[in-house]
Amino acid sequence: MVGIVIVSHSRKAAEGIFELAVQMAGENHNIVACGGMEDGGIGTDAIQIKNAVLKVYSNDGVVILADLGSAILSSQAAIELLDDENMKVIIADAPVLEGAVSAAVQAYIGGDIKAVVEAAELAGHTSKLC
Amino acid sequence: MSTKVYQCMKKIHASIESNKDFLTELDSAIGDADHGNNMSRGFTEVVRQLPQDNEDIGFILNKVGMVLLSKVGGASGPLYGTAFMKAGKQATGKEHISAEDLSGMLAAALDGIKYRGKAVRGEKTMIDALEPAAEAFSKGMGENRTIEACLGMACAAAKEGVDYTKTIRATKGRASYLGNRSIGHQDPGATSSLIILEAVRDFYLQM
Amino acid sequence: MGIHARPAAEIAKMAAHYKSEVILSVNNKTANAKSLILMIALGAKNGTELVLSVNGEDEDEAFEAIGRFIVNNFNEV
Repeated sequence: MVGIVIVSHSRKAAEGIFELAVQMAGENHNIVACGGMEDGGIGTDAIQIKNAVLKVYSNDGVVILADLGSAILSSQAAIELLDDENMKVIIADAPVLEGAVSAAVQAYIGGDIKAVVEAAELAGHTSKLC
Repeated sequence: MSTKVYQCMKKIHASIESNKDFLTELDSAIGDADHGNNMSRGFTEVVRQLPQDNEDIGFILNKVGMVLLSKVGGASGPLYGTAFMKAGKQATGKEHISAEDLSGMLAAALDGIKYRGKAVRGEKTMIDALEPAAEAFSKGMGENRTIEACLGMACAAAKEGVDYTKTIRATKGRASYLGNRSIGHQDPGATSSLIILEAVRDFYLQM
Repeated sequence: MGIHARPAAEIAKMAAHYKSEVILSVNNKTANAKSLILMIALGAKNGTELVLSVNGEDEDEAFEAIGRFIVNNFNEV
């Protein structure tokens, strides 16, 4: 199953989004939350993100959902720390919460990494208000 | 006995600590008001985690970069983290740094920041301090100056760069959300870059 | 009841099991039922009619299973 890493500046936010994503996907998920600094403060930690990617990595690859600005920079740095160019890790250009939820369901139903990224990014393009 | 690199990092840390409130103040005007605290947290961890007895400068700088990637928290984490790691690559296995080495390291650090941040000069970022600094250092080398003199020229150029950032609009990062309101404020990232360079210069001067 | 995220996720997961194409429509707007986001975007409100259409080699089982789920979970249908 494609792994999903949820990255937020806030640990609480990452854990909350994780909770929602798991509710949608199901018990047998491959999702991990990654948020805040080790000291509990607000911010992102590229090494923490790298470890999260490794935790859920398989040949199906990993999709990262990140909140704002430096979360993306940290995620990009984390991917480079992986030191293996053949690893499939993609940062989705998607809102972290809706993207994670959409990605979680898509991964659960067996989508490949491309389908999971598309599902996440669709969340960013689809209008919320009816 | 601690190595020179370790002592240099301690000097940078001390400088960041004494300018912490100033950096935070700058960042309050055009940022999230956390640059001072973030840099302080990052460099405090650097000093705490750095081995004191390893002579391989490249290894040490790579470690500095890794700590910053993990412990700064804001955008400067991945930016400075990448900078130190790229600089470290230039010095792998070296126990002494020549002026030429240092020039290469500055250039690599700058490239790392540009690559990571996808910014160029004129966008009101640390690049506005570091690019002129790297150029000035290179120029000094071309004139056969000492490392100390080259560093002096680099710092002067970085200072000018910081002043320049006061006059322009931010088009990158958090400050860019303020648009024209960012004019008149010097960039916190450029300022911390200057602080780091000055600490390195001072370290060399007192060696 | 509109198609809230949880039931929509269940429908997507069920629909994915079948080879058939599964479409949900509301007021002439259609959505691929294998996509969570597209279903939520349908914005089905209270009392609107949900139309399920299934087309493919396993359409009978798919229609039966998904239809039952919708009837059990969306009482206005």
